[in-house]
Amino acid sequence: MLASRFWYVFLGLLVGVATFLLFLATSMYNRAGARAMGEALSSDSQVVNWYLSNDARQRSGQLIQFGIDGDIGRSLAKSNDNDQKVPDEAREKALAALKKVNAGIPADQAFDAVFLVDQGGRVVAHLGYEQASGNDDFELGGYPVVADALRGYIRDDTLVLDRIYRVVARPVEADTSQMPAGAIVGARILDDRFARELSSRTGAAIAFYTAGARVSSGAPETFNSAQLDQIVSDFSSLEGDEEYQAKGRSKVRTIAGMVGVQYSKLPGEAWKLGAGYAVAREPKAVAGPFGFFKAADDQDKANANVALAVAIALGAALIGIGFSLLEHTRPIHNFRLEVQKLAKGETDQLQPSRFRGAFRKIASDLNDGVDKILARGGGPRRGPADLQEVLGDLPAEPQMSAFSFPGENLPAAVSGGSGPHTAPLSTPKSLPTAPTNPRLPKPPAGRSATANLDSTMEAQPDVPSSGTPAVGNWSGGVPELAEWRAVYADFVALKQQCGENTDGFTYEKFETTLKKSRDKLMSGHGAKRVKFSVYVKEGKAALKATPLKD
Amino acid sequence: MRGRLEGFRLLRNPVWAEAKDSSNHGFSFREPVPTVRAEFRRPFPHIPKELCVAVLAAAPQAAPKPVLVRVGGGRTTPVTIVVPPGTRLTFQNTDPFKHRLYGVDIKTFLPAEQGQGAAREWTPSAPGVYEIRDEAAPSLRMWVIAEPNVASITYPSLKGEFSINVEQPGEYTVQAYFAGKKVGDAVPVKVDAADVDIRGAIRVMDQKTADAEEKASDEKAAKAPKAQDSK
Repeated sequence: MLASRFWYVFLGLLVGVATFLLFLATSMYNRAGARAMGEALSSDSQVVNWYLSNDARQRSGQLIQFGIDGDIGRSLAKSNDNDQKVPDEAREKALAALKKVNAGIPADQAFDAVFLVDQGGRVVAHLGYEQASGNDDFELGGYPVVADALRGYIRDDTLVLDRIYRVVARPVEADTSQMPAGAIVGARILDDRFARELSSRTGAAIAFYTAGARVSSGAPETFNSAQLDQIVSDFSSLEGDEEYQAKGRSKVRTIAGMVGVQYSKLPGEAWKLGAGYAVAREPKAVAGPFGFFKAADDQDKANANVALAVAIALGAALIGIGFSLLEHTRPIHNFRLEVQKLAKGETDQLQPSRFRGAFRKIASDLNDGVDKILARGGGPRRGPADLQEVLGDLPAEPQMSAFSFPGENLPAAVSGGSGPHTAPLSTPKSLPTAPTNPRLPKPPAGRSATANLDSTMEAQPDVPSSGTPAVGNWSGGVPELAEWRAVYADFVALKQQCGENTDGFTYEKFETTLKKSRDKLMSGHGAKRVKFSVYVKEGKAALKATPLKD
Repeated sequence: MRGRLEGFRLLRNPVWAEAKDSSNHGFSFREPVPTVRAEFRRPFPHIPKELCVAVLAAAPQAAPKPVLVRVGGGRTTPVTIVVPPGTRLTFQNTDPFKHRLYGVDIKTFLPAEQGQGAAREWTPSAPGVYEIRDEAAPSLRMWVIAEPNVASITYPSLKGEFSINVEQPGEYTVQAYFAGKKVGDAVPVKVDAADVDIRGAIRVMDQKTADAEEKASDEKAAKAPKAQDSK
């Protein structure tokens, strides 16, 4: 048993270690996931920043086409000549020129709105900004991006007007010896379309926000875009993020454990107005050891060495079964064989040397017990005495050639079975049936088997009223003889059931045998009375006598 | 009264000068166009809106009619104004979106939302310099100089020429104001019945001072990228 126990302990430790490792792996996985998410978010934020800057640079190149257009230059010159009002002719020509040039810009480089501004900052013409249509006082000259363009710079900005605009501007030169005639300004609205485009090019889930509200968002298909709505609830605490306020980029923040976010301010005027963008990622984490099953994809499962795991499981099971066979099943089997030999009388005692461990001690104790019983001259028999063992073999054939049944009121049939024969009182299905041999005692005609038993009980008041075998249990007298007749009837019926010949088997001979047996048992065991019962032994009807002391 | 200003291109619009400092995160790129001459690449002001020429009388003047100030395009028009205390100023939003003007440290001019075309009024009650800003547009800064003796104001053309009408003859002083401050020397002028031409140009900024300011600004801007890199 030592190996089995060692194996159980080993398996227990193994399970404990495996459980610990799983929790350890869960923690490490979640920590690594959080770190990876943080790095990915920082990367996303940087990529978006680069994209915004690079996109502005590329689009600023498209503005050159406006700058070199002759009509645009001439329109600006006319506008600059009039301090009071932009001439309508200049507006019309400028608008036509803007439309013409704008139509030639590739779709992926196009602007949502284009503005042509003269030296005074007045908007001579514009496209795509219908809010300002009809407003003759509309100007942009106060914005630094426009002022810089009017003074010879190309630059970008992010303006928060009615919406958030990414803006690029460059000068329009009519005479290089003079200050620029005006500026051309291109703007892209940071709307959902822009956010989706940005997301598809950078792979990041992104949301633009200003004044504490999300204004647009875009996310890859694998990302639940509804998660981006949660950033609104995080804005209030964002104001307390020192890194965000100082550097314009927050630390990685996790909102409700559902989504990791990093906020960045947009360059330009939007910086001071608190407008920016948030990149988001869903954290890679598992809720517990069993979370790995949910988190694992097909590739993960394919990479797992299932064969090794199955082999280890089978190996452990086989080792356990082997130990169990060696230390449990096999010793018990050997012990049982030896005990069976002892029961059959093939051996006088068990051989402890043939056993190991506890079985050796058990065998030794059994031998000691047997020796002590023998030393006392043997003990009383606890089970029913085998009549054949006591009396020797009963004659298979009756030794008397003829006999007669003393009465018709005895039970005449028994139910089949291999154990000691009983005459059930409460189970009609197993009630004894009448012997088929006409010479055997038969139950009274027209009466049921139960009635026969009842009549037997009338003659034998000590017999239990129900559920007990119909056995003779008297030490002598007329009741005993009546019961012996019942036992005789059962015996005859059982012999017939077993296919034995009952010809010449008389009650007188049967009674003589029972008397002899009763007397021997009562004297040998100190019993007050003896019960007799019938049963089938090795396919033949047999009798058993049970000495009783009460 | 007619006159001419000089050196105005040496002035620096404080908003634009501040915006070109990369440490203020006003842009992700800002590059000069090589074909534009260097002399134009300074953040000089748009003087028709920003440089106010005031004629100051010897005695306090009565408040004139309400003055309209247009709010749009990232600034106000005018940007600098000189008025006697008690002059009512009407700020009208000409942009197609909202503004939230407020006076810096002015309790009587708190932030309030102004929709498209909406107007609000404010009156400087005492002499002094007042700055107006906009919570919705950081580039918008306006200066109101409440000067009791101001008799009349005007704004020059892009070339620096100006003309101003003074109704009452007398001894006056012509003073230019920019970004809430006096610039250039005060020029005394005696007004009679006829037009008066101010002799010589009024120099509002000299080269030496401008260069010093420019140098200081450039040095500050040069340090900014290093500071950003170190982040």
